[in-house]
Amino acid sequence: MEKDSRPSWDNPMQFVLACVSYAVGLGNVWRFPYLCQMHGGGGFLIPYLIMLVVEGVPLFYMELAIGQKMRLGSIGAWSAISPYLGGVGIASVVTSVYLCVYYNVIIAWAFWYLFHSFQAILPWAECPANANLTGRLEECELSTPTQYFWYRETLNITSSIEEVGGIHKGQALCLLLAWMLVYLCIVRGVQSTGKVVYFTATFPYLVLTIYLIRGITLHGAMNGIKYMFTPKLEELANPMAWINAATQIFYSLGLGFGSLIAFASYNQYHNNFEQQAIIVSLINSGTSIFASIVTFSIYGFKATFNYESCLERVRLLLVNSFDMAEDSISMDNMRHWMAELNSTHPDQFAALYHKLENCSLESELDTAVEGTGLAFIVYSEAIKNMPLSQFWSVLYFFMLLMLGVGSMLGNVTAITTPLRDSKFLSRHFTKEVLNGLVCLLCLLLGLGFTTRSGNYWFAIFNDYACTFSLLLIVLIEIISVCYIYGLRRFEKDIEDMIGHCPNWYWKTVWAGVGPVIIIGLFVFYISSYIMGGTPTYHAWDKDLGRSVPKVYPVSAQVVIVLLLLSSVCCVPLTALYVYCKKKDPKEGVVSCPLTSKEVS
Amino acid sequence: MSARLLFALCLALTWTSVLMQDLCTEGASDGYKVRLSIKTALGDHAYEWNESEMFLFKANLAYAMRRHFNMQTYNVSNIIVCDETPRVSFWFVVANPADTSQLIPGGEVEEAVRKSRNRINNAFLLTDQTLQFLGIAPTLATTVIPNTPPWLIAFIVVICVVSAGILALLVSTFMKKIRKEKGVLEEEKLENVYENGIPRDGPEGKAGSLNGGFMEDERHTQL
Repeated sequence: MEKDSRPSWDNPMQFVLACVSYAVGLGNVWRFPYLCQMHGGGGFLIPYLIMLVVEGVPLFYMELAIGQKMRLGSIGAWSAISPYLGGVGIASVVTSVYLCVYYNVIIAWAFWYLFHSFQAILPWAECPANANLTGRLEECELSTPTQYFWYRETLNITSSIEEVGGIHKGQALCLLLAWMLVYLCIVRGVQSTGKVVYFTATFPYLVLTIYLIRGITLHGAMNGIKYMFTPKLEELANPMAWINAATQIFYSLGLGFGSLIAFASYNQYHNNFEQQAIIVSLINSGTSIFASIVTFSIYGFKATFNYESCLERVRLLLVNSFDMAEDSISMDNMRHWMAELNSTHPDQFAALYHKLENCSLESELDTAVEGTGLAFIVYSEAIKNMPLSQFWSVLYFFMLLMLGVGSMLGNVTAITTPLRDSKFLSRHFTKEVLNGLVCLLCLLLGLGFTTRSGNYWFAIFNDYACTFSLLLIVLIEIISVCYIYGLRRFEKDIEDMIGHCPNWYWKTVWAGVGPVIIIGLFVFYISSYIMGGTPTYHAWDKDLGRSVPKVYPVSAQVVIVLLLLSSVCCVPLTALYVYCKKKDPKEGVVSCPLTSKEVS
Repeated sequence: MSARLLFALCLALTWTSVLMQDLCTEGASDGYKVRLSIKTALGDHAYEWNESEMFLFKANLAYAMRRHFNMQTYNVSNIIVCDETPRVSFWFVVANPADTSQLIPGGEVEEAVRKSRNRINNAFLLTDQTLQFLGIAPTLATTVIPNTPPWLIAFIVVICVVSAGILALLVSTFMKKIRKEKGVLEEEKLENVYENGIPRDGPEGKAGSLNGGFMEDERHTQL
């Protein structure tokens, strides 16, 4: 009776779009282009596609199969596979909570920039004037207007993680709005989510296409695209390229959070998820490549713009110092003039030498940025130089919003689905109230990221909250499905659902290749964390107008360790709890001292 | 007599101009260097820098001095220019109209220029960056700070729309629940009717004691 009354998607298309909307997120736009740039441009596609086929699609397939078969959220599904594995589901939920709390802050920032785009002059286009109106603000002069707007106006960042500062009211309001929007989309569970994903899954593609057309037609875009597509194949020998490709596939598909299990649990029993898994994974990777073409054309434009501004500054310096007519030196004959002036006025030229900048297009293109720096600083710098910049700005930040909200729907569903499965909670709270409470809790926790030092804590969560625990969760998942639940039993379930057995390729990956790759990644993470020494972060120094590296204080390092361990230790703790409960069914006690008999 | 007068006048003029030229030197403490970047600013519509343009500059500066001191005594002849270069840059000093051998101190000149900077710029179709007075800081336009920041307006609009959406969904869910509960009550009532296996109300409805079953039989038996 329970299974029949479970809500479900109106049609399989909604499920596919929900998965696409969840998987295609901000990481496709701001992490993949960075990795491409770091690891030899077009050549990075080779490890990326290999990892997609070898690791991404099979794991995605497996999670969808589990969700559709068990028809429960992550906690229920893993408890059904084995009672001792309920902890895996709880670990997924805890990781999802961490993700929800910090991810929505990005949407708050996107809202902030979106609202600030409705002005005649974009606020990050120029530095504001200083107090006595004689020049620009010093902090802004030393850095750039876009960096100033990000660090000072948007974040009002303190100079280190220890200085907390107060809550930035504008950010707190935007975070409230972000959570209200997410609540609006999930308030009725899959019925409301199913309708929203039509928009959140398709709109970003529309914007990316418009941006592609605009980007390619910008002056200098070809420099960026050429830079991206010239493969530097020697990078493939670097193991980091392969590790980064594996982790990118892993996180980009959103494995291990329980969202895929939750989404699939609302499917009809005989839904053909094998085809859907392949389609969604291919769409996700295709979107990454598409987004990186757009990003590189924008990079090319920005780099060319900066390079030409640099040349212009050098030209002006020469013309002003030697009092020559304005049009005597142009971009083409600048080198010739520099040599001539060096020979005719050597002393003057020598005095000038340290002021002459070395303008290089290559070095401009080499500055690789990822994450919030790319999305909010580099892109907004490129946008402010485009004609009709307000329109492009609104379009871009609206796209970021849709990408973020699409992923958030999956993240929050991963939390609400297991909670709804619990009989206790669903009896006392209606769907709407439960979803509202989850959103409210995450909002209150997320307010910590709207403080002045919030961005530093955001970086901690971004780097440590989900990375390590996900690897462990997926490793336990794949091993328990293959060896505890049994590969044959799993095979039979899939045959029951879609009508044919998974072929030898899937089985080989699940049983052999997949665990090996994940163990490899796992070992690499642990060793790099241990051998990396004290972790550092980049703090904004307002007197220098740039970021300076600083070491994390003890309190932050404690938080890092807690983050890494807190979700992971749910697994053994829950197993222990279940074990104890089984031992004393009559008493029903939670804690049980192990007697010497039990220990032996 | 007139020839002698003319000669004396010419001598006096040359002597004053030589004296005035001595006042204007490169790096004069009371003078400023001016640099114009006409081709950068105007591109194809750039005008040529010639004596007339220089006259306009002197006139503008004289106007600036008049405006600052609120005196009508300044004239084009009080502005002394020297060291012109092909870059279109030169030095200028301002002589006191009351005593042409004295210069107006640099501080006063700076203030006068700052006050009328906008007018001077516009006379030449240039900006603070393309008509540079080296050493005189530009006066930036005061940023107009509106009472409500524009972003807040957009925020309020969006949050109202989202709140309205949430309320609409919650209210409709609530109404549906109430309707369902009413529907359940109705169903329960009908179920109670058939509880004893005997239709109390019958096909005619809630009318009462007529036993519809027998009614039907009667119709048949009439045939």
